[in-house]
Amino acid sequence: MCTFVYSGRTLSLIVTGSQSLRILVGIPTFAATVAPAKAACADRVIRLALLRGAMTKPDGTGGERHRTADRNGQPPRSADAAVAETEEFPTGTDSRNGVSERAVSRETAIAVEGLTKRFGTGTDSVLAVDDVSFEVEAGSVVGLLGPNGAGKTTLIKSVLGMVVPDEGSVRIAGVDVAERPKAAYANVDAMLEGARNDYWRLTVRENLRYFATVSGVDPDSVTDRHDRLLERLDLAEWADTPVRKLSRGMKQKVSLASVLAGGAEVVFLDEPTLGLDVESSRTLQRELRRLAEEEGLTVLISSHDMGVIETVCDRVLVMSEGRIIADDSVDSLLRGAASGTVVVESSDLDSDAIAAIRERFDITDIEELERGARIEVVAAGDDLYALMDVLSRAGVTPERIRTVEPDLEDIFVGLTREEDR
Amino acid sequence: MSADEASGPQKAGYYHLARAVLYREFLLFVRYPANAIGGIVISLFFFGVLFYGGRMLAGQALTDSIEGIIVGYFLWTLSVGAYSSISNDIGSEVQWGTLERHVMTPFGFAPVALLKGAAKVVRTFLISSIILGAMLLITGTRLELHVGTIVVVASLSILSVLGLGFAAGGITVLYKRIGNWLNLLQFGFVVLISAPALGVPWLKVLPLAHGSDLLQRTMVDGVRLWEFPPADVALLVAVAVGYLGLGYAVFQASTRRARRLGVLGDY
Repeated sequence: MCTFVYSGRTLSLIVTGSQSLRILVGIPTFAATVAPAKAACADRVIRLALLRGAMTKPDGTGGERHRTADRNGQPPRSADAAVAETEEFPTGTDSRNGVSERAVSRETAIAVEGLTKRFGTGTDSVLAVDDVSFEVEAGSVVGLLGPNGAGKTTLIKSVLGMVVPDEGSVRIAGVDVAERPKAAYANVDAMLEGARNDYWRLTVRENLRYFATVSGVDPDSVTDRHDRLLERLDLAEWADTPVRKLSRGMKQKVSLASVLAGGAEVVFLDEPTLGLDVESSRTLQRELRRLAEEEGLTVLISSHDMGVIETVCDRVLVMSEGRIIADDSVDSLLRGAASGTVVVESSDLDSDAIAAIRERFDITDIEELERGARIEVVAAGDDLYALMDVLSRAGVTPERIRTVEPDLEDIFVGLTREEDR
Repeated sequence: MSADEASGPQKAGYYHLARAVLYREFLLFVRYPANAIGGIVISLFFFGVLFYGGRMLAGQALTDSIEGIIVGYFLWTLSVGAYSSISNDIGSEVQWGTLERHVMTPFGFAPVALLKGAAKVVRTFLISSIILGAMLLITGTRLELHVGTIVVVASLSILSVLGLGFAAGGITVLYKRIGNWLNLLQFGFVVLISAPALGVPWLKVLPLAHGSDLLQRTMVDGVRLWEFPPADVALLVAVAVGYLGLGYAVFQASTRRARRLGVLGDY
C-alpha cells in the first residue's frame, strides 16, 4: 500500500508491506518505507539520493535546504537532475566538482607537512597550529573552517611566510618557502582578514596597476585582465574613483580585484565576503569559481559564512584547537552525514516507547505533541533498519518520518563539538 | 583579443617597480596637496617665530649667523620629512595590511622599501626647496645655490636619517602603536645638525652632523663637491651607507622577530 503524506516542506511516501514497516528510504524531504521485497531497490534509491544530497519540493523547484545557489550562482538543480547526474557517477565519484577525475592530472599547488606553531613559552604558551598536514591541488578551491581561535589565521599566515612555524614545511608549486621564498611566493597573493590590502587614496584601477607591478607583472600587459576583473566584479563604473569614496562592500571587492590583478596562481582569502551584501557576495563567489575552473586559480579560503564555503569550495578543511579534524570534499561531508538524523512523529510515542528507543539510539530532541510526540533520533545507514524494528516492537506506527539533511554548518558544529568532548 | 592579451602577461622589472612606486607618490602629492601645503605653512611658521623672535632677543648676533640658521633649518626640514615619511609610511602599511603584500613581492622587500624611501626623499626635496626659497625671501638672505652639490650632499646626509626611519619603522612593526614616541626623535635632529663636528671629530660619524657641516660650506661658502677633500666626501658616503644599512638591518631583524612572534601585520 502506498500513502503520500505532505506536511509543510515534507512529502512522505509510505509503502507498507504485510506486517511491518521495514525500511526507511531517507531522501531529505522524501521519506518512504517499503516492503522487504523492495529492499534492494530501495537501498539503491537511498544511495543515489544521498549521493547528490538532492531535495525535492512539492512545487518541483528543487534545491537543497540551505543551498540557495550553486557554485556558479545558478539556482539549485532539481532532484531529477541531481539523480540523473548521480547515475553517471554511480560509484561515488565526486561529480559536484569533478575533483576525483581532475585530481589525477592536477599538480599540487600547496603542500603543508607537519606544520606546528606555538606562541609563548612555558605554561602560558599556546599551541596555535598542531602538526598540520594537507595538500591543495592546483585549480581547486579549498575552504578552511574552524571556530575562533582554532588556528586558521595562524595557519594561513604560516603558509604565507608571515608567521615562522616552529616545525614543518610548506611548499608552493613544489618550491619550499623556507629555502626559496621569492620563487615560492612569486605567484601567490593574499587578502587577509581585517586588512584593507590596498590604497584608499588611489583609484580602483590605479590600485590594480600598482599591485600588479608589485606582484611582478608589467601592468600594461594585463590591462585587459583588469578590465575583465572590473567588469565581472561590477566595479567598471567605479574604475576611476578613489577607493576611499566607495562603500565597504565595494572596497572589499576592490581588495579582491587587486589581489587578482597580477594574475596570481594561488590566492589566500581570509573572510573575503565579510561586509558584502548578498548580491555582491554571490558575484564574488561566482568569480572565484570561474577563476578556478577557467583559469586554474587555486584558492584557500577561510570564512565563517558556511553558505560561501558550501557554494564555492571543492573541499573543506575543518580546524579545531590547532588541528585539522576533517578534510574532505563538501559533498562527501554532506553525504556522510546526510542520513544522520531521523525525525519520527507518532501519536504512539509515549514515555515507554521513547525509553525503548533510547536504549538503542541517541535521541537528540523530543517535542511533545497534543497526541504523542516528535523525536529526533541519530540513525544512519543500517541503523535505519534497526530503528524501524524498534519502533515496530514498541508498537509505534510512524505518522511522519523524515531524515534531516544537515548543511555544512550542522556538520561543522557537530565536528567541533565532538572534538571538544 | 587585444595586443596585450595576445602577448600575455609580461614580467615586471625594477624599472616598472620604480615607476609604480614613484608614480604613486606623485599621485598622492598632486591629488592631496593639503598635507604638503600644511607642512610648508607649519615649517615657515616655526621659522618665522625663530627668526623674528631670535632677532628681538639676539639682535645683530642672529642676523650675522642667519645663513647658518637657514641652511640648518633647510636640512632639518629635509631630515624630518624623510624620517617621518618612511617611519610613518611603514606604520601605515602595517595598519592597512599592505605591508604583507610588499613583503611577499617577488622583488623582495628591500628594493621596494628603498624605492619608497627614494620617492619620499624626492618629495621632501620639493617641499624643503619651497621652504628654503620662502626663508630666503623672508630674511632677505643670499646663499650659494650650487644645485648639484646641494642635492648630492643633502641626499647623502639624509640617507642616514632614512636609516633611522627604517629602524623606527621596524620597531613600529614589532611594537605597533609607538609611532608618536618615535616621532620625538625628530627633535634630536636639531642637536645632530648643530653639532660642532669641525671641532669634535668623532661627532662626524653621527647621522647628519658631518653632512650638515659640508652643506653649510656649500651653501654659505660656495664650496663645490669636487672642492671638498676626498676623505670628507668618503666619510659622508660611509656614514650615509652605514646608517642606512644599519637601519635596514634593524627593520629586517624586527620583521623577522615579528614573523616569529606572529605579529607581522597585526595592528
